[in-house]
Amino acid sequence: MPDPVTIVGEKTRISGNIEGDEDLRVKGRVDGKIRLTKTLYVEEGGIVQADLEVRVAVVSGVMVGNIQASDLVHIMQSGRMVGDISAPRVILVDGAAFRGRVEMGEADGRADARPRPATAARPAAAPTRPIVAAPARPAAVPARPAAASATPPPPQPPRILDKKKLVKKG
Amino acid sequence: MGTVIGSSIVVDGEVRGEEDLIVQGTVKGKIVLKEHLTVEKTGVIEADIETATVTISGKVTGNIVANDKVEIRSDGRMIGDIKSPRILIADGAAFKGSVDMEV
Repeated sequence: MPDPVTIVGEKTRISGNIEGDEDLRVKGRVDGKIRLTKTLYVEEGGIVQADLEVRVAVVSGVMVGNIQASDLVHIMQSGRMVGDISAPRVILVDGAAFRGRVEMGEADGRADARPRPATAARPAAAPTRPIVAAPARPAAVPARPAAASATPPPPQPPRILDKKKLVKKG
Repeated sequence: MGTVIGSSIVVDGEVRGEEDLIVQGTVKGKIVLKEHLTVEKTGVIEADIETATVTISGKVTGNIVANDKVEIRSDGRMIGDIKSPRILIADGAAFKGSVDMEV
């Protein structure tokens, strides 16, 4: 018997419930509810607007709805997802778009993907704030950037910066 | 490649498409197609069907309106009314319902 494969083709739309014990690949559109004991692939170009109960969900297309996965949810680079995810493993690839909550149960330290974007975002956002704030208070400008730059980097660069500022003032 | 509903899959609702549909599992509700529907041996359909052509080797319960052809193969079992210009019922096929060939 051949491997059971279910495909919802590009030009097909299913509204209602889908249940099964095999992989499902959606290249077209499904609205409703999907329950699988295997893997749901929302392919690139595919649209799924449904609540899911699956083992694994791999989203490369558009997914709107809540996912409850017993194993893994993988949002690929081309994937766009709006909804809540409940799964022990969640992979959110760089470039993927996601809005919603993630519930991974008890944290087990495998969530590598989450801290990295978070720490990367902070340094990027931090320098913009003093720059924006500086022109608003001209009197405080020399003191504040000097103090701010003096604390994080090694001692030498701040001295150079101070000299330049003094030269400009003179 | 079109759409394939695998043997362990149950769809309860409406399937609409502009490409071929192969049913190896179960579809309940309604099927509206512009191309070819194949109900394979393991396939079970409890739905009204609008399509261009349909080939039945599985079990269909519901009414079929096909604008080209309906074919019930020897393994096929069909309960319902058929409206289509061309209807083929093979030896061994089971069919209960009315036929309207618009003659």
